[in-house]
Amino acid sequence: MSKSNWARSVQKVLMAGAMTAAMGSSAFAAEAVKMGCVLPLSGGSAAVGNQTKVGVEIAAKQINDAGGIKSLDGAMLEVVFADSQSKPDVGVTETERVIARENVSVLCGAFNSAVTFPATEVAERMKTPWVVVGSVKDEITERDFKYIFRINNKATYDAREQIDAMDMLKDEFGSGPKTLAMLYEGSDWGRSHAANVKVIAAERGYEIVVDEAAPPNQTDFGNQLLKIRAAKPDAVIVALYTPDHLLFTRQMMEQRLDLPFGVHSVGGGMEDPAFYKALPPEAAFYAFVQEDWQIDILKVSTDPAILSADEATKAALGYGMSAYTAQGISAVYVIADALERAKSADREALRAALAETDIQSGPALVTGYNRIKFDEQGQNTFAHGVISQNIGGERKTMWPKENRAADSTPVWPVPAWSDR
Amino acid sequence: MDAFILSYAVVNGLLQGAIYGGVALGLSLIFGVLRVVNFAHGSFLMLSLYISFWCWSLFGMDPYLSALINIPAMFALGYMVQSVIIAPLIKRESAMVVEPLSALLLTAGVFLVMDNAALMAFGPDVRALQAGYYVPTIVVGGIPISGQRLIAALAAFAVAGGISYWLRHSDMGRAIRATAQNRDAAAMSGINVSSVYAMTFGLGCSVLGLFGALIAPFLPISPAIGLAFGIKSFIVVVLGGLGSISGAIVGGIVIGVFEAVASQFVTATSASIGSLVLFILILIFRPQGIMGRA
Amino acid sequence: MKTTIAAKSTRSGGLRLNQTTVLVTILLVLALAPIVVTDSFTLHSMIMVLFFAYMATSWNFVCGYVGQLSLGHAMFNGMGGYVSVLMFTQLGLSPWLGMLFGGVLAMVTAVLIGLPTFRLKGPYFTLTMIAFAEIVRIWIENTNEFAGIPLKGAEGLIVPNRGDDFWAFQFSTKLPYYYIILSFLAVALVATAWMERSKLGFCLKAIRGDRDAAEALGVNPTFYTSLAFAISAFMTAIGGSFYAQFFRYINPERSMGLELSIDMAVMSIIGGQGTVLGPLLGAAILTPIAEIARGEFGGGLLGLHLVVYGLALMLCVLYFPKGAIEPIRKLCLRYFGGNER
Repeated sequence: MSKSNWARSVQKVLMAGAMTAAMGSSAFAAEAVKMGCVLPLSGGSAAVGNQTKVGVEIAAKQINDAGGIKSLDGAMLEVVFADSQSKPDVGVTETERVIARENVSVLCGAFNSAVTFPATEVAERMKTPWVVVGSVKDEITERDFKYIFRINNKATYDAREQIDAMDMLKDEFGSGPKTLAMLYEGSDWGRSHAANVKVIAAERGYEIVVDEAAPPNQTDFGNQLLKIRAAKPDAVIVALYTPDHLLFTRQMMEQRLDLPFGVHSVGGGMEDPAFYKALPPEAAFYAFVQEDWQIDILKVSTDPAILSADEATKAALGYGMSAYTAQGISAVYVIADALERAKSADREALRAALAETDIQSGPALVTGYNRIKFDEQGQNTFAHGVISQNIGGERKTMWPKENRAADSTPVWPVPAWSDR
Repeated sequence: MDAFILSYAVVNGLLQGAIYGGVALGLSLIFGVLRVVNFAHGSFLMLSLYISFWCWSLFGMDPYLSALINIPAMFALGYMVQSVIIAPLIKRESAMVVEPLSALLLTAGVFLVMDNAALMAFGPDVRALQAGYYVPTIVVGGIPISGQRLIAALAAFAVAGGISYWLRHSDMGRAIRATAQNRDAAAMSGINVSSVYAMTFGLGCSVLGLFGALIAPFLPISPAIGLAFGIKSFIVVVLGGLGSISGAIVGGIVIGVFEAVASQFVTATSASIGSLVLFILILIFRPQGIMGRA
Repeated sequence: MKTTIAAKSTRSGGLRLNQTTVLVTILLVLALAPIVVTDSFTLHSMIMVLFFAYMATSWNFVCGYVGQLSLGHAMFNGMGGYVSVLMFTQLGLSPWLGMLFGGVLAMVTAVLIGLPTFRLKGPYFTLTMIAFAEIVRIWIENTNEFAGIPLKGAEGLIVPNRGDDFWAFQFSTKLPYYYIILSFLAVALVATAWMERSKLGFCLKAIRGDRDAAEALGVNPTFYTSLAFAISAFMTAIGGSFYAQFFRYINPERSMGLELSIDMAVMSIIGGQGTVLGPLLGAAILTPIAEIARGEFGGGLLGLHLVVYGLALMLCVLYFPKGAIEPIRKLCLRYFGGNER
């Protein structure tokens, strides 16, 4: 062999060796970061749980496709899902399993406050950070816990926002409701919301004339609607999950029940895209919905990650992003941001990084907040929802005024059925 | 409370109660003939609701038309469940008398399987179908009456009447009544008792098939809805008299009106506790119900 | 007769297997198991098996022997849990004492309910028990406060964390809970075994056979069924307190719901109702199925374990009316000889 040929062969061998070593080391460094996600994938809240799951998956894929966690040599995010079955004790058991068996660095979830509350206690005890997704129970971030962080708003915010919106519209248009009816689902979420509304309504001078808890799985809201009709309130505040909300809204239309200042839903069913597919559109016109995210953000945002996430959601579910998908996306981006700053998948390091979070731009703000920063209790104080009104089938943000699009105008008071 | 609200409540109660009665018909019939308390009654209704839903969702079929598929399908299912699952239990008992607890446990097993297989297959999401056209709301005396519910309520009366007539005047009907009265005598008269049992079960389920089609247009459908209707049906049937067709309708109306009027004064949940208390009192003091024979 | 039995036992080499031996062996094995099993999650699963075995045994104490199917037993579980938790949070009373109060409340309720109900036949009794349990559950689910006591309705009750505190019935590791539920189970099993051979047991079986005939023979059905029902309710309530302390959270749907009642009954029946070890066997078979179904499929096949329970129940009613323990017992008798009991 000539000298140059031999040199070239050696070069090739050395190159091959170097490449293998490089691949080997990058494969070694790219050990995935495991993230647990406890969600209601079955049971009463399954629809929400599945939407959140899709959001989490889309965000993880976006991050992984863009090269993973760069400060960890491109480590991929691996999500381990666990089904809480919408039940607290199952959620607790699954949390323990995922922490002990799957060795995750961080957890997120679990939508149902009744599940998140005890499950986060387990996480705190096992010193594993948890990013709360969707649960609004105030006490979750009122326990002096160090490992629990919540991106979304607390229950008290929700009630306050609904009344704030009414006050704002009263100022804007000169008239507003004086008496309110409350119809809510009889478990955790509905009851705590009703309790919060009562407190704020008393402060602001509204009178509650109907206070009715609905048992789950109702087959007929006729009796409650009649009770509301008899009490003649100016507006009704509704806290119902999808199946009950569907029935209630449909029957309200059938019975032509008129309320001068309309229906104010704190979300639940009316935030679920499946809701709108199952009703004639007119049934939901003019309804106000307290949304956990800015519903029309897709119109104002130019962030490519958010827009492509919407596309991916449509491909996966047949409908676009909802509050729940957005919350899933946000949680993953917050975790990824913390991982980048922690430069480690160690739970303690991650916890410290999460506590230092201060996000002011990017896909983590898909929910419409201006900022994500956790206080000493782990609560993101910049979290807020919006109040939208359904105009011709489109939900447009009306409150806060800063989030209202230029061409959105509230309809207040709400027209009677015969005038529509 | 003013008269308008009261009469509105009564009308609501009549409609809802008649629907409960129609749904409970099959349960009463099956008990009357087979002496089996079908714990899976609600599950059959749930399945028929899904059949109507899928007919609409996959084939765009109008829910009322889907009754044409639902009724025979549920009949076949009921016939099969009886022949395959319950009949072996009956055969095991030498006197062809079903030991009541075994039958209850067996149908409880059927309930567990059906409800949860549906959960596995269809998922827990709530489905709702929308009729393509709008059945108008009729306003009577200022009270709006939902057209769809009215149709279902009227159907309950029609079906009850029709089945009673058929039981009295047709050969099969007479065979069924004979078996209900005294199965040994019926067997000795040459009636094929196991065939009668299967027919009855099939008939009971086909009624559920009809009502599934009738209530699907206004009810959100999920696997959990079976149990809710199942428990209501037990209350209705015990109140009206196990084994009595007219009793099912009467029982349904009593419960419907009671709950409608009571929930104007107390919460709906307290009203449902009231129904349960009523149920217990009837079971203890007059177990044959309003229309049943002692 | 005597010679045959003696011949049997010598042929099998003198190994005599009777119920007491089996019972003691099982308990011993369970008591020593944690030496081998140290994984927290497996220990948790075993605690769940023992818990359901205890609940099924409590159910079986009355229903297995009287031959009535109660599908409302969960209400006693809920009562036990709620009373002990409320006494702890409102009065600072140790749950060890609180659970006794819960048990007494359950006993009184059982007697009051049982008096008019036990003479109902089969399905009527079952439906009535379901109705009673549903009334209790719905009432608590919808009541936030009663006579100043915060019931918190559907929200459920949370037991405040006290870390490692024996008098507060709380421990930071699983092991103490394991031994506590094992002791409860041992007591329940021994109680059942004792009852079987006692006058109470004979009277219950007589009532099961034919209530009217038993009454004619001088057995007071009301007294004996009420007694058994009361004891069963007491035991179930204690179980409810344990559950509350283990999970530190209870709510009406899980503690008093129909699903729990069905679980208790199905485990007993599939294992073998009317026997001492049947419910334990049933729980040992069915609980792991539920855990596996949830763990392996992670929500992909929801409700699978209940489908399995339903199929097992149907098979049991049709082909194994005495439960799974029957074929096992026959096998043991064949290979090991020994007494019937």
